[in-house]
Amino acid sequence: MQGGPVSGGGAQPIYLTLLTFAPLLGMLAILCIPKAKKEVIRTVAAAATLLPLVISIFLYVQDWNGTGPSHGQAGMRFVEKHGWIDSFHIEYFLGMDGISAPIILLSCLLFFIAVFSSWTINKGVKGYFALLCLLEVGVNGCFLSLDFFLFYVFWELMLLPMYFLIGIWGGPRREYAAIKFFLYTLAGSVLMLVALVAIYLQSGGLESGTFNILQLQELMKSGALQEGAPSLLGMDFQTWTFWFLFLGFAVKIPIVPLHTWLPDAHVEAPTAISVILAGILLKLGAYGMMRINFPLGTALMEPGSGTTIAIGVIGMVSIVYGAFVAMAQTDFKRLVAYSSVSHMGFVILGFAALNDMGMNGAAAQLFNHGTSSAMMFLIVGVVYDRVHHRNLNDFGGLGLKMPYYSGLATVGLFAALGLPGLANFVSEIMILIGAFNAPHTQWMAVVSVIGIVIGAAYILWTIQRVFLGKLNPKYEEITDIDGREAFCQIPFAALCVLFGVAPFLLLDVFRDSIKSLVTFLTVAGG
Amino acid sequence: MIGTVVTQKASGPVLDDLVLVVPELIFVGTALLLILIARRIRKTPVAIVLTVAAAVAAALSAVWFAPAEPTTGFAGMITVDGYATFFRVLIAATVGMTTLLSVRSIVGEEVPRGDYHALLLLAATGMMFSASAIDLLTLYLGLELTTLCAIVLVGIKVDRPLANEAAIKYFLLASFASALLLYGIALTYGATGATDFAGIAAALSKEGLASAPFLLVPLGLVTAGLAFKIAAVPFHAWAPDAYQGASAPVAAFLAAGSKAAGLAALGRVCLVAFGSETEVLSLLLAGLAALSIIAGSVLALSQTDMKRLLAYSSIAHAGYAVLGLLAGTGEGVSAMMTYAFFYVFMTLGAFGVVIALGKRGEELDRYQGLASQRPGMAALMLLFLLSLTGIPPTAGFAAKFVIIQSAVRADHIALAILAVVCSVISAFIYMRVVVLMYMKDPQEAAPSRVPIAVTVAIALAALVTLVGGISPGSLTAWAVSP
Repeated sequence: MQGGPVSGGGAQPIYLTLLTFAPLLGMLAILCIPKAKKEVIRTVAAAATLLPLVISIFLYVQDWNGTGPSHGQAGMRFVEKHGWIDSFHIEYFLGMDGISAPIILLSCLLFFIAVFSSWTINKGVKGYFALLCLLEVGVNGCFLSLDFFLFYVFWELMLLPMYFLIGIWGGPRREYAAIKFFLYTLAGSVLMLVALVAIYLQSGGLESGTFNILQLQELMKSGALQEGAPSLLGMDFQTWTFWFLFLGFAVKIPIVPLHTWLPDAHVEAPTAISVILAGILLKLGAYGMMRINFPLGTALMEPGSGTTIAIGVIGMVSIVYGAFVAMAQTDFKRLVAYSSVSHMGFVILGFAALNDMGMNGAAAQLFNHGTSSAMMFLIVGVVYDRVHHRNLNDFGGLGLKMPYYSGLATVGLFAALGLPGLANFVSEIMILIGAFNAPHTQWMAVVSVIGIVIGAAYILWTIQRVFLGKLNPKYEEITDIDGREAFCQIPFAALCVLFGVAPFLLLDVFRDSIKSLVTFLTVAGG
Repeated sequence: MIGTVVTQKASGPVLDDLVLVVPELIFVGTALLLILIARRIRKTPVAIVLTVAAAVAAALSAVWFAPAEPTTGFAGMITVDGYATFFRVLIAATVGMTTLLSVRSIVGEEVPRGDYHALLLLAATGMMFSASAIDLLTLYLGLELTTLCAIVLVGIKVDRPLANEAAIKYFLLASFASALLLYGIALTYGATGATDFAGIAAALSKEGLASAPFLLVPLGLVTAGLAFKIAAVPFHAWAPDAYQGASAPVAAFLAAGSKAAGLAALGRVCLVAFGSETEVLSLLLAGLAALSIIAGSVLALSQTDMKRLLAYSSIAHAGYAVLGLLAGTGEGVSAMMTYAFFYVFMTLGAFGVVIALGKRGEELDRYQGLASQRPGMAALMLLFLLSLTGIPPTAGFAAKFVIIQSAVRADHIALAILAVVCSVISAFIYMRVVVLMYMKDPQEAAPSRVPIAVTVAIALAALVTLVGGISPGSLTAWAVSP
């Protein structure tokens, strides 16, 4: 991060740097605070995550108003560009467009709430909040990087805090879950590294290469990267790099069959970490596909090509399989984890449709699943804190004793179910319409509807088993949700309702950027 | 007048040449001094201070007396160029840090102080010569000097059976490897009529492998001999035993210094002497690299002894470094140099933590709960392990990045994929240490205080590992190939 500005000249805005690195300052501050002053540590963490939230709201509103430079594939805003490692043409290049703005907002909100949701953690408070702040640096950095190398650094930066947060503060099988998470993600990301290096070398290598994602995409599309490029196993350059990147991102989403780390990680992770994991880390995989992977494989993204069909099938299988497996769970958290697999499958299906409707739906689903899944994990956390188990068959009638909690929980669960009027309905229906409108994914849309039906079944069944029926006498003494817990859930409930009733508040921000992305992917020529 | 000029010319070059070997002279001089006063040294610090001072002086003089242009001396036996300077500084740093790390093992146990340091310095002299050698004979002498000193260092604790066994094993296998190398040199001379690199290259360019397939034999033998020095599979069998038997600082010295010197020699031989036979050589090296990476990563999984674990990890890392040589280009060799540089510091750091923890550090299981007892030490170990895994922002990632890049550049994409997949396998074993340190409760009392010298050495390694990760260019800008 040294060296002067490479291009542009004049003062560059520093919103994005501030947004990314404010939590790092928070982390450093926390490391300087004595271990015993837990309240101070928590407050600093809250402040360090509040600042990015404020900035992201500000940027979101700016984006929604449409002030500032134009949108578009290259229409990045609040761009910051400085030289970093000049000998490899690596830049410190941040930018934001209509796709990243809402997701950044979601990320900042999730981290802010996560701090409050972890307020009661008493073991190793200092380390916990320091790692949480570091994790936010990695996540926000990923969403804003426009330099592939920088992206990769942030991507790997997330790995370690997450590993420790699960491995130290997690449940009984935390070590197993943590190392599984670590190895799965690392395996995906090293394949990404090979593709990254190969693409860089092909773009001109040490003499004139670039890591600039936008520039690489143009070059790849124009075919300039294909000349004399190495093939692998009979696949041409664009194909194998595409699949390597895809695998790297798909592990994170995760798609079936690469999903097995997710239930373990979720079950063992503390509540706030599950919230982050489901709410934003999974979104990174999908975001990476939109931002990096698909635009680097435009030749494969012909609607109806084998690749798009394969991606669609992956999405469809994830939806249906995830839903069925979720229904079979007796552990509340495991159920939510598998429902994530199912809901993220919709995102993939939306991508495969390759039209405005599907892609917008997929982007909106990223946001809406972020809020609803975060809320579901918070719901599980509330009840787990009180009864110390998550066995769905051992609850019953909690609605009688915890009316406020049940009310809030119902909003979250119904949102996840896709009830009209709540946000997930909008995005899921858009994805299904988009997929149905595209000839190559039509039948997949039909099959995927099964996922919605099953989804309704397991959610309703869960509500029934937990909140309705006769009160299990064990829980006579149970207390209702307290102020802090309600404070954690209300923003998400509000967003679920708000974007359900007024989806344009979200979709307007996505629209132009998504449109230009779809055009870039499907229309031939520069 | 004319007569004097002629005599000056006759004697002049040799004296002038001495300027080229100032770092080596410093090492040899200090070593001799240490041997002379060995009986009079009552206190260990004298030897330590002398050796560290020699290392610093050698590193500084290597840079200070580095000629602007590559200069050849001693009748074409050595050359001093950017490549040699790079490795000289690296080796001097290794010696200095090893000396700091060995403070405890010398104080604590009966080791002849003067001799120990003298051997370290002499071994380093050999390493430096093999980095600057441009003749197979100098190369051989340098490597032999290193190996002989290293064998004594491994077995320096006479009363420890394990050390003796390790020394004997090392000696036998090293002799075998020396024989291979020497045989290769002899055959090379027979085939090309030269032992100097330029001569060999010239002869090969006239009559290469294509017309004289016999050349494959010397080529293979020399490569095999050098592969032994860097402990590449299948010439690796000595390393785990030697590292385990030797005291931890000596193991660190072998893993860092000896490997760096071997890589230096291999790099120059491959690029300069056998440069015209890149195709065949690349095939040989690719085999070595692939085997080393696989075997090193997989065999590390079942280790319970920390030194053995690091030995297997060093075998894998030798494989990664060799990937840089596949392309047979200057850039590839630069990548190898960058890798060697960062590898030396992260390995010394990891061994440093092992040393700092004493007996406890040598057994994997006893790392349990270290983080709650010694948070600083655990964090440093974490840093070095992450670097060995190749996770940003540590130097190990920068190293992995350049090496993968050079492999892809040489069109060895399958090998690059193999390398990164194996790095995930080795991540498992490194993370096992992390699990033990951070996620288990301590089973025994906190380790005793760490000597300040050891702390200094570890801190230095940590600094390089961090700076190398955040701004790699600042440290390896001078990694220039011969």
